[in-house]
Amino acid sequence: MTADDRRTGNLTASGEGPVSRKGRASRERLLERFRILRLVRSSRVPDDGPAEDAAVRRRLGFSFWLAVAWLLIMAFVAVFAPMLPVADPTKVAFSGPREPPSADAWFGTDALGRDVFSRTMHGARISLAVGGFAIVFGMVVGGSLGIVAGYFRGRLDQAVGFAFFVLLSFPSLVLAILITATLDRSLLVVSLTIGILAVAPVGLLARASTLVFAEREFVAAARVLGARHGRIIVRELLPNVVIPMGALTLLGMAIAVVAEGSLAFLGLSVAGEDAISWGKMIVDGAGLRDLQNATHVTMFPVVVMFVTVLSLNFAGDRIRQYFDVKELAF
Amino acid sequence: MARYVVRRVVLLVAVLFAVTFLGFSAMNLLGDPLVNVVGVLAELDCEGIEAGLVEDTTVDAASRDCDTVAAARDQYHLDQPVPVRYVLWVGDLITGDFGTSFQNDQPVSQVIREKLPETLILLTMAQIVSLGVAIPWGVIAAYRANRAFDRGSTVASFGLLSVPNFALGVVLLYLLALRWQVFPSAYESDNLGALVFSMVLPAVTLGLPLAASYQRLLRTDLITTLQEDFVHMARAKGLPPLRIMFRHALRPSMFSVVTVFGVSTGALIGGSLVVEQIFGIPGIGREIVTAVVRDDFPVVLAIVMLVACTFVVLNFLVDLLYSWLDPRVRAR
Repeated sequence: MTADDRRTGNLTASGEGPVSRKGRASRERLLERFRILRLVRSSRVPDDGPAEDAAVRRRLGFSFWLAVAWLLIMAFVAVFAPMLPVADPTKVAFSGPREPPSADAWFGTDALGRDVFSRTMHGARISLAVGGFAIVFGMVVGGSLGIVAGYFRGRLDQAVGFAFFVLLSFPSLVLAILITATLDRSLLVVSLTIGILAVAPVGLLARASTLVFAEREFVAAARVLGARHGRIIVRELLPNVVIPMGALTLLGMAIAVVAEGSLAFLGLSVAGEDAISWGKMIVDGAGLRDLQNATHVTMFPVVVMFVTVLSLNFAGDRIRQYFDVKELAF
Repeated sequence: MARYVVRRVVLLVAVLFAVTFLGFSAMNLLGDPLVNVVGVLAELDCEGIEAGLVEDTTVDAASRDCDTVAAARDQYHLDQPVPVRYVLWVGDLITGDFGTSFQNDQPVSQVIREKLPETLILLTMAQIVSLGVAIPWGVIAAYRANRAFDRGSTVASFGLLSVPNFALGVVLLYLLALRWQVFPSAYESDNLGALVFSMVLPAVTLGLPLAASYQRLLRTDLITTLQEDFVHMARAKGLPPLRIMFRHALRPSMFSVVTVFGVSTGALIGGSLVVEQIFGIPGIGREIVTAVVRDDFPVVLAIVMLVACTFVVLNFLVDLLYSWLDPRVRAR
């Protein structure tokens, strides 16, 4: 219960009339009033007081580490997939097409008889590489644009702000399609495409936090000491702005992984036979006949992708709470 | 208010020009525009054929192809620099000339007119589903805030927001259309009833994650509203809780939902590309994907422009509506 609530509570309890008056009727009215008060109070949500909030923030919790563990496993699989003792993801297995899960092929085989388990592991490569690259690109480009715009203000700020606004005016998948439609579908192009999508939201966040920090005393002090703009930006602002940006990395990466999956689902992600991606695997098994008779072909990548995105979101959200960053643009 | 509207309209026009220019130059600068417009025909040596220098076994076909190339050059003003081309192209757009589909020689405006209704029905149904789910859900969660239901719904909405919509679509398709056969698995257009019924699953696929985010917003705002004096007053008067929630508290708690309505429509349009693909709905989203795969650039460009401009205008309208609801916004 906040101080505000307590004040209103006191006001109602010690307010006019009934308290000082005598008689049965007035006492009943008083009781009634307290009953209402209790009713009102009980339906209120206790606001997270500052102490409780800090306690929550300072503990990441078991489920956070569970999510991180899953992400580490996925990262390990993505990096070392070609070296792990699993079947060749592009080779047709001996057991035949659309085999249900077995000891040989843990996730079964797909319509062409390829090992789904091995393909899911290899699929992590493109999904995570694109997601990781995209968010790093967004941070470097969007972050520096945002900081510079927020620090110098004026015309530059307006121009950058307008550019961000225009970028955000495209529904993201449509912008991605526009780019992948005109260029070839290589890993670099797809990563850059999704990276460009990340520029505007990250940039807005960086700009907003720069605006806050640029007003602080230590920036003024640096300026009085004769520091140049470049030094102020790199030494004073950047370390402060990087924290909220970094806290949202995992959340941004979740969005990027889903975006790559959507492109792959539409057949517009990285092209090529050995370019395996979760989105592509899901669409491969999503034909009505396959879905009916060989559900495992689609459902295993669906589950793995869901758990990965969930872990990214969950761990990302915990980190965001830990650093007490309000979501601004995402 | 008038000054604010004027400022917003100027921004709107500027953004519309920037969006179309960006899209147009992306199409024209990334890759050879002639190839983009006529595909492999661009490799024809037309001048050579005309001068009789190059032998061609199918002279008739070749000269017809050369006509196509010349027509494309003419239509897209390919002998002009990009900015000039852009201005001419915008002029064509304004007079309703969206170009001609390179795939089947249909005017693009006709292609759009044929495909648009399906997408609009889908988007409308998705918004109905999401609001229909989110409002009762948010109200119950706020009414019993921090109790079991609310905690459970926090987890549920977190999960829903983490499902990529193509994954959700495939799972729903499998469970409800194939396994339990409640809904049809593909698009049906025999009559309006069948059409709407076959669009239920796609609309749920699009609307459910959106409902989760609406619910979060509504819950937060409702909890704040429930602490206002007029709610205490209503309670003190002895009004039934349902009436208080829906008649008194709900309306002033809808601001955040209204704000994200515009943005979420953009997300829905993106999602509809995927969902139309899964459920075989012949709408705008499916058309653009087909057009990209077939390098049918007039169609891609027209649809991207249409979607982006709709999105911009919609957000503009939501901004106006919001500033009318809450005058403080204008001060920003």
